[in-house]
Amino acid sequence: MGYVAVTAGEEIIERAEQLFEKRRVSGDSESLGVDQLDDHLGRLTDRVMSESGLYAPRLAALAAKQAQGDTVEATFLLRAYRSTLERFDETPIVKPGEMLARRRVSPAFKDVPGGQILGATKDYTQRLLDFDLVDGDATNPTGEWDLDDKGDPEQLTTVTELLREEGLLYEPDEPDFGEPIDTTRESVTHPPDRDAVLQALARGETGAVTALGYSALRGYGQVHPTLAEVRVGRLPVRIEHPYTGEAVTVTHTDVTESEAVVPVYEKREDPQFAFGYGLTFGRNERKVIGMTVLDASIQLDSEEEPAENAEFVLDTVDGMDSFGFIEHLKLPHYVTFQSILDRIRSIRDSQDVPDDGSRGNRRTDADDTSGSVAGVNSDD
Amino acid sequence: MTVDGFGTDVERYTESTERILMRSLWRVSIKCMVDPHDRADRFELIAASEEATLARMANEVLEGDPPLSVRQEPRPKLLMQRVREPVERRPFNLGEVLVTPAEVTLSEVRGFAMVPGKAERAALSGAIVDAAVAAGHELTPAIVEAFEDLEARRRVSRRQRWAESKHTAVEFETMEDQQ
Repeated sequence: MGYVAVTAGEEIIERAEQLFEKRRVSGDSESLGVDQLDDHLGRLTDRVMSESGLYAPRLAALAAKQAQGDTVEATFLLRAYRSTLERFDETPIVKPGEMLARRRVSPAFKDVPGGQILGATKDYTQRLLDFDLVDGDATNPTGEWDLDDKGDPEQLTTVTELLREEGLLYEPDEPDFGEPIDTTRESVTHPPDRDAVLQALARGETGAVTALGYSALRGYGQVHPTLAEVRVGRLPVRIEHPYTGEAVTVTHTDVTESEAVVPVYEKREDPQFAFGYGLTFGRNERKVIGMTVLDASIQLDSEEEPAENAEFVLDTVDGMDSFGFIEHLKLPHYVTFQSILDRIRSIRDSQDVPDDGSRGNRRTDADDTSGSVAGVNSDD
Repeated sequence: MTVDGFGTDVERYTESTERILMRSLWRVSIKCMVDPHDRADRFELIAASEEATLARMANEVLEGDPPLSVRQEPRPKLLMQRVREPVERRPFNLGEVLVTPAEVTLSEVRGFAMVPGKAERAALSGAIVDAAVAAGHELTPAIVEAFEDLEARRRVSRRQRWAESKHTAVEFETMEDQQ
C-alpha cells in the first residue's frame, strides 16, 4: 500500500477550536483580564516564563489565559512568539550576589549574615482551604504593620562566600570559560559542559525537574544535599548604552536561586564541599531546588542513576520536547497503523491463523515467530 | 505629530496635592542621586517610566513639530540574560528578556530608549524624550522634574519592599533550660 495524502476536516478543526474558545466565555463570570492573571496568579505566569526561558510577565499572563491555564501549552505559545524575534544582544554577566533579595532562608546556617528573611511564604503554616476567599479577598493583611525604615535594600552575603572564606569551598584559578553555550541556538553535545546543563535546567519543565531531583533523594542517586540557602529576589538586566558604553539597567527579573552543599570528603584528598546550583526566572522554589539536586548529581557523571546521567536528564527535562512527543501520539497515525495491520495480517496468514482468532492450525514453534511482532513495532 | 499610533490614547496626568507634597520632600535627597541630564541615568528612568507618562511627554515635545526621524523602529527584541554561577564562577545563559528598543533623531540630536516588555509606544516615546533632553528642548525642566519624582517614588517603593521583607526576619530565641 503506497502513501496516500488526504485532506479533510478543515472546517471541523475550526469548529473544534471554536468550541475550545467557547469555554472561556460561556460562564456567567466576568472575563479574566491579563492584569488580573499577572496580579493574582503570579506563580502561574512565573512558571510559564521559567519554562519558556523568556521573561515577559504580561505576555506570560496572556499565554496562560489563551491556554486556559495549561502551563505547557502557554510555554509553547511564548516560545513560538520568541522564535519570531530578533536578539538585540547578550547582557553583561551579572553575579547573583547582586540580587536584591526579598526572601532568603538558609537551612544550613541558623545565624547566616543578613538573617533568615522569610519574605512572602506560607511554608510554615497549615495547608488548609480558606473558604473566606470564595467571597473575595480585598483586605490587605499587612495594612496594620508598623514598619521601621530599614534604609535601602542590602545585598546579602551568600553562604558560598562564607564557605569560601573558611576554605571549605575551592577557589577557582581565575577561570576563563569563554562564551557560554546557548542551547537555544546550538545543539547540546554529550557530555555537556555545565553552562549547557544550567541553561537547560533553568528552562526545564517544573514537574520533570522536581521528579528527577526527587529520584536522587529517593535512592536513585548519591546526592542528598544540604541547602546552603534559597533566595528570591530581583536581578538587574543591563546593556551597554549604545552612545556612552556605560552599563545601564533596563529592568529587573524576578528570580529564585538555590545553592546546596554536598559533602564529598570521602572522594577527594582535600576534604571540601561539592555543590549544586539552581537559578530560574520567577518564583519557583520547588523547581530551583530540584535543579540544584540535578546539577550536583550530573557533576558525578555516572550512567548508573538517571539523575546523574546528563544525557538522560537533558533529554527528558524540557517541557516542549516531552509535550510534543507525548501529545503527538493522539494525532492521526493512519498510515503507520495500516502498515502494522498489514504486517500482522500477513504474519497470521503465513501461520494459517483463522479469522476468528482461534489458534487453528497455527504453528507453535517459537523459533518461527520470534522477531516478527517485534519487527512490526520497530517499524513504527 | 504624535506617538499615538503606537498604542492607546494618552490620559492626561493630573497631580494630586499629596503628590506635590511628596515631591517637595523627596527632591532634595533625590537630586544628588540621579541626574536626568545624564544619558545613563536618563536611560534607566525612561525604562522605569509608565507608558502614559512617556507618551504625554513625547507628545508635548512633538507639539512644536520639530524635525523627527526614526532611526530604529520600536520592535520587541530579546536580551539574553547572562549570569555567573557563584561557585565555579562559570557564566551561563539564564534566559531571554523581552525588551523594546527604539532610536530617533530629533532636531539633529539622537535619542535612544529601551523599555521592558512589548511596548512599542513607550519605547518610541522614550527615545523622543531622551533626544529632547539631550537637545535641551524647552520642556527639559518639566521632564527632569517628572523623572526626579519617578526616582523618588521608586526609592520609596524599594525601601518599602525591603522594610516588609525585614519585618519577616527571624529572631531566634535560645531555649536555655532545654540545652
